[in-house]
Amino acid sequence: MRLKSGQDLATGLLFIAIGVAALLIGADYPLGTAQRPGTGVLPRILAWCLIGTGALVWLKALLTDGPRIGGVAWRPAIMVTLAVAAFALTIDRFGLVVAMLAAMTLTALGTPETRWREYFLFAAIMLAIGIGLFRYGLGMPISVLPREIADLPWGLPWR
Amino acid sequence: MEIGTLFANLALGVSVAISPQNILWCLAGAVIGTAVGVLPGLGPVATMALLLPVTYLLPPEGALIMLAGIYYGAQYGGSTTAILVNLPGESSSVVTCLDGHQMARQGRAGPALAIAALGSFFAGCVATLAIAVAAPPLTALAQQFRPEDYFSLMVLGLVFAVVLASGSVLKAIGMVFLGMLLGLVGTDVNTGNTRYTFGIGDLFDGIGFVPVAMGVFGIAEIIANLTSGERRDLMSSRVTGLMPTRDDIRRSVAPVLRGTFLGGLLGILPGGGAVLASFSAYTLEKRISPTPAKFGTGMIEGVAAPESANNAAAQTSFIPMLTLGIPSNAVMAMMIGGMMIHGIVPGPQVMEQRPGLFWGMIVSMWIGNLMLVVLNLPLIGLWVRLLLVPYRLLAIAILFFCCIGVYSLNNSGNEVLIIGAFGLFGYLLMKLGCEPAPLLLGFLLGPMMEVYMRRAMLLSRGDAWVFLTRPLSLAFLLAAALLLLLVVAPTVRRMRETALREAD
Repeated sequence: MRLKSGQDLATGLLFIAIGVAALLIGADYPLGTAQRPGTGVLPRILAWCLIGTGALVWLKALLTDGPRIGGVAWRPAIMVTLAVAAFALTIDRFGLVVAMLAAMTLTALGTPETRWREYFLFAAIMLAIGIGLFRYGLGMPISVLPREIADLPWGLPWR
Repeated sequence: MEIGTLFANLALGVSVAISPQNILWCLAGAVIGTAVGVLPGLGPVATMALLLPVTYLLPPEGALIMLAGIYYGAQYGGSTTAILVNLPGESSSVVTCLDGHQMARQGRAGPALAIAALGSFFAGCVATLAIAVAAPPLTALAQQFRPEDYFSLMVLGLVFAVVLASGSVLKAIGMVFLGMLLGLVGTDVNTGNTRYTFGIGDLFDGIGFVPVAMGVFGIAEIIANLTSGERRDLMSSRVTGLMPTRDDIRRSVAPVLRGTFLGGLLGILPGGGAVLASFSAYTLEKRISPTPAKFGTGMIEGVAAPESANNAAAQTSFIPMLTLGIPSNAVMAMMIGGMMIHGIVPGPQVMEQRPGLFWGMIVSMWIGNLMLVVLNLPLIGLWVRLLLVPYRLLAIAILFFCCIGVYSLNNSGNEVLIIGAFGLFGYLLMKLGCEPAPLLLGFLLGPMMEVYMRRAMLLSRGDAWVFLTRPLSLAFLLAAALLLLLVVAPTVRRMRETALREAD
């Protein structure tokens, strides 16, 4: 038998996998009584529903034609995710400037269309907006520069 | 309802909406909404998700007035891009491209834009009035609801969301279940047990609505848009003469009226909204026109009807949210998120407990519509210039605002990680042809349904038949079942597929 729809097949697998995982992880969630349904009731119902739906999607993939999974844009997918992660991991420790530069540069690396001279100009503007609006305008408690630099005598205003 | 009460309510609304601050937030929402409406690749859902953290700093009235402004503002902005660039700035203005852009090519961009704006304004006024009239009786009805009725109504809402999602019905059903499961992550409020937290402290409070929404709508969108090198066929020819001819106006009156009515009706349906409305209105015009073959060649009717319909629907979709506390689409889910940030539990009690907020928001919609007409027509040149910003730069700005927005919620870098994860997941779903909107609705409604389910079971002493013996609940469930059956029936299914394919 030939699988006709890559998209449906993968979706079915995804639903079934998540459903099974939800059942296994939630196996010891108490069911409670009919009058006081416990923690485990809805997760179990939903997990079985998800598995059932996944099976139907799978069945459809076997029986009918459907679209294939189009080309995955690995470069933007990876770079954009890394950009968010970089922001998340640096903001507390290194402050706004480092986090913004890391996130923005990684995003720019996500597309071949980036023109670097234009990018640096734009990044400078964004830095000014970001610091001006969020740190000083809205007064969010974020440090602008890494602690080491902010601790230096001349770094005080940037804390 | 008595006319006197209606006027008293509206007067209260005016007094709230007209305060200088609220006028300012209304303006801000309308302008931001127009901007994101003009820009393809940035929709009202992502924008509202972006601004939710900022609204935390505003009073609740200002916050909701601004968020609402973004939604209907986007309906105005979307038509500008559709007419001038032949790109839908907003998914609800897809059909406007067909005739609107043809008009622009014939040098009649001005009248097309003017009719779109005026039609939207008219629809906005009527729909605002419709909300004011329909909300109180519906709220009164909602107060009779028992837990099982709420539960079944939410089931119906989710079924509507499934039926009206474009693409596969099965996948949409799966997305609802998946969303509900994700909504259960965290501490179970009734028993204090934790679910699916993997011992990670940050998950004990559950996954936040904002990071999930921003991930699947904001970040995933960036990934998808960075891939497709878009071309913009900008009608750089000056927009000369906004005034429609007398003939234009004469031909537009009836389509605007029909579009407003149809859009207003479809907007109320759970799961409905601006996209469905604009498409249906266009189809209706084409069907009843004596010259259907001429549609697509620059017929003003093809601009007037869908643009009125999408704005009417954008407004009336507030009705189920305001009266029942049930979001009918992703944008309304966002509005509920905005209310919850301010500690307001959406539902029928809002109108009684916070009449100023309720009526102020409704009146602000009318004011916002007025501002949009006055502002947009002269400023079209400015909006067009916005289209010249290349996406590679826009992407950087959107990504940064997503990150800082989520960070500002709790000053927690870990929550920013969640939007990264959901961004990637959202992109995967896009590749699999799964729509994120039902997921988001399930995510929001899942925990609410669990609460009502438990309450119903407790009150009925463990008798699950209560969902079928109570008439209202039974009616909702029957409607849901009927709806699902209809979709599975082949003829309806084929119609729906052709309808939604063109709307994609």
